[in-house]
Amino acid sequence: MTVRRFHAEIGTALATGAVGATAAIGAVGLGYGWEERGPQPGYFPFYVGLILIAASIWNMVSAFAAHRQATAHAEATGETEEPFLEREHLDRIGRFIGAMIVFVIATLFLGIYVGSTGYIAYSAWRQGKYRPISALAMGAGFAVSLYVIFEVIFKIPLLKGPIEPLLGIY
Amino acid sequence: MTYLKTALLAATAIAAAAPAMAEWAPSRPIEFVVASGAGGGTDNFARTIQATLNREGIIDNSVVVLNKGGGSGAEAFLYAMQNEGDAHKLIFGTNNAYLLPHVAQMAYSMENLDPVAALALDEFLIWVKADAPYETAADFIEAAKAEPGSVTFGGSQSKDTDETLVSLIEQTTGAEFKYVPFNGGGEVGVQLAGGHVDAHVNNPNEALGQWQSGAIRPLCVFSPERMAESDPIHDGKGWHDIPTCQESGVDIASYRMPRTVWMPAGADAEAKAFYTKALRNVAESDAWQEYLNKTSQTGVFLSGEELSQFITENETSAVEVFAAEGWTSQ
Amino acid sequence: MGNFDLLMQGFGVAITPMHLLLMVAGVLMGLVVGVLPGLGAPNGVSLLIPLTFSLDPTSAIILLSSMYWGALFGGSTTSILFNIPGEPSSVATTFDGYPMARSGESTRALTLAFMSAGIGALTGVIVITLLAGWASNFALRFGAPEYFAVYFLAFAAFIGMGSAAPMKTMVALTTGLLLSTVGMDTITGSVRLTFGYSELLSGISFLVVVIGLFGIGELLSTVQEGLRFRGVASKIDLRDVLKTIGELPRYWATSLRSALIGIWMGITPGGPTAASFMSYGIARSASRKGKAFGTGRPEGIIAPETADHSAGSCAMLPMLALGVPSSATAAVMMGGLMIWGLTPGPMLFATKPDFVWGLIASMYVSNLIGVVLVLATVPMFAALLRIPFAIIGPMIVAICFVGAYTVSNSTFDLWLVLLFGMVGYLFSKLDYPIAPLVLAMVLGHKAENAFHQSMVLSDGSLAIFFANPLVSAIMVVGIALLVVPKLLAFGSRFRRRIPVE
Repeated sequence: MTVRRFHAEIGTALATGAVGATAAIGAVGLGYGWEERGPQPGYFPFYVGLILIAASIWNMVSAFAAHRQATAHAEATGETEEPFLEREHLDRIGRFIGAMIVFVIATLFLGIYVGSTGYIAYSAWRQGKYRPISALAMGAGFAVSLYVIFEVIFKIPLLKGPIEPLLGIY
Repeated sequence: MTYLKTALLAATAIAAAAPAMAEWAPSRPIEFVVASGAGGGTDNFARTIQATLNREGIIDNSVVVLNKGGGSGAEAFLYAMQNEGDAHKLIFGTNNAYLLPHVAQMAYSMENLDPVAALALDEFLIWVKADAPYETAADFIEAAKAEPGSVTFGGSQSKDTDETLVSLIEQTTGAEFKYVPFNGGGEVGVQLAGGHVDAHVNNPNEALGQWQSGAIRPLCVFSPERMAESDPIHDGKGWHDIPTCQESGVDIASYRMPRTVWMPAGADAEAKAFYTKALRNVAESDAWQEYLNKTSQTGVFLSGEELSQFITENETSAVEVFAAEGWTSQ
Repeated sequence: MGNFDLLMQGFGVAITPMHLLLMVAGVLMGLVVGVLPGLGAPNGVSLLIPLTFSLDPTSAIILLSSMYWGALFGGSTTSILFNIPGEPSSVATTFDGYPMARSGESTRALTLAFMSAGIGALTGVIVITLLAGWASNFALRFGAPEYFAVYFLAFAAFIGMGSAAPMKTMVALTTGLLLSTVGMDTITGSVRLTFGYSELLSGISFLVVVIGLFGIGELLSTVQEGLRFRGVASKIDLRDVLKTIGELPRYWATSLRSALIGIWMGITPGGPTAASFMSYGIARSASRKGKAFGTGRPEGIIAPETADHSAGSCAMLPMLALGVPSSATAAVMMGGLMIWGLTPGPMLFATKPDFVWGLIASMYVSNLIGVVLVLATVPMFAALLRIPFAIIGPMIVAICFVGAYTVSNSTFDLWLVLLFGMVGYLFSKLDYPIAPLVLAMVLGHKAENAFHQSMVLSDGSLAIFFANPLVSAIMVVGIALLVVPKLLAFGSRFRRRIPVE
């Protein structure tokens, strides 16, 4: 599957428009009028939201216009419209984001130390083609240096999971 | 000396509770959660306690300070709610802990917080620019009455302690002010020194520098009796020379902000006893006395029943003001 | 020359072996917190405060301020090498610093950044030395309308001459403005746009968004183009450094202008971040020829760095003289001052000359130490770029998430980084400019607050923004910056058309 730039433009415009709409709706509840003592709390979010919706619509319309032009051009010359992401790129990005999401979820349950050890070890093993044992060492080394910099030197607690207390680290 | 008396009272209260107290001791680093940004009054309060605890050897465990000042401090109290029963977290705040839920919809309530102690009361004063036409608080009130809404009061944030006090003055005297909220006491101080507002109700510590230089001067202090003797600060006058507001005709006997320490609800009662004792040791130390002097706060030590009573009174009187102003969120 | 004598006396206080050691230690620690995103200067400084209780106040402030300088230097390093701003104020440095580093000139980019930073800081300190009294009186003239005018000017300077599609710029700008309104509003006391999520009560942290947009967004672009790092390995070659220093005098106008902007924004609480954006924007509008900004223009590095550091050092002045911190770090240091029993305010200069002038003198010395140390650590950071992407990539991801977590110890922020990482990637692929979004997040809420305060003061009349010469002048310059480039563009199009028709 290939994502075309046109699809991406439309999707982004829809998303930004939705952000504008959400803000405007949220602002209505706060009051968006102008009182004797200046604007009500919802005044700015409301009008800024409206501007965002308008700008998003504009972008969507110009994406359609560009698309029609590109299609006409494609028919005339036989070239296809500029792709946004090739299948190969999509795969790579997808895998990277996937690993990142797994890392975030693992971090939420197991803490940042375990999460980052696993994440770095996995990436070094699968993408870097390191031996599992050296990959694991890299991950663990990274987690230990995080611990030393943040918790020991700067006394900033990082997110911990159920495993650290078993090792006597709080 | 009220300080000594309260300390003594507290000591008896603790002694009475002693049989219930067993040997609880923290088993890991203690988190101090501060309900203000770094550098604020509450932050200094917490960090002074942290330094005193470690230096005087009251607690050997290491202490980690976390600033959670978002939403006027609500962030810290929400954090307490999420960490119910955690005996290794102390939350440092003011009266915002119990007043915030009244003015804004908050996910936490007082059920989620267990008061441990109050260690200081911060005073409020009316300050005006040095060259202002008002000599006394009464003059000032009269000026505001003569032309309603013409006298501007700067203050820190809205529906917070400063605006509550200004509203209280309005309700008591019938004067009408224009209140302009800023982001913090320091910012308000400069607005007054620059003549952009007519008055503010900053704490002594926030206003000291400007008073020393003669840019601003105090009219009265909202405490039942005059503040402690001090070296002269400007023009031969010190803290003790400032009249109380009641003396000068503004009928508000006392308006002070407690500096409080809380625990997440549901924590071990023995842990609470442990911290109460530790904080009492802090309150009795020389370092603490020095902090109080430097920041011109009044020392107290409230815990247990006394503290609950104080909170109830303080909350009731503030909520009356909120109700009259129509701020209450429920 | 009373101030000069006092300064010499200050050098006597500042230059002792103990203080030099503290400066080196402070700068080094600052470099570490500056390089790690999230763990910024305010954070680092507040952690050191309890340690300073055993020092005398002068030594303590020297340690803390040195850490601040170190953090400012460190923040630029990662901006240039990885496109990840270590500090909010070094966001603007990424715009041209990273492209220059990618085109193989990382030594030049870093040298330009550090030297400009040093020049900015020194100019700032000189101004403090000479104009301490005058400058703090000037700052007193700024009330709410003047603040609004300053923020308006910052927006105008930056937006006036954007190269991206105007409606895409508008989307980025308004999105940033909306993000900045989330959370509790200090002026009205109401909770806005949180939709019941108490995680949003304290607002969406600007740092978290920046870490996502820049850090993760850039990594995603790297991944898309194959798993190679685009940052070019950089060896610091002394000859390159000297050559770059040699080209600096050519940009004297940019340096001077940026230093002045920084000084102004440092003295009136606009802060280093606003200063660096404003300076970058003005440098862009001032340039008439040459490569486009955003492709590695030297001025694009010099302008934000000089302004950032001159604002950083000048921010010390209102803190000491008025008790108003104009940057987050200054706020923390002020807290320290109070704990040490010093009262910031106009009298501090009179009552504690040793402290004040010792600090000012130390600023000269520790900034010099900072430039040297930061140049010395560059090979270390450059070595990181030689690590294979499969390892350094995930490590940067992990550091971004750790950094975002430490901002407010909230797991919610981890999701925000993920979300904004994808937004950043999408925006840069579709040519949406990211800078207006960041600027709007930094200044949006401040501008709104100042506007609201002005409205309360004036009972809702907009005339307050033209009520005195100071505020009118700033507003007029702002409007000019917004309108004139458009008129010029329109005019030149018009002129070009005449011969044709």
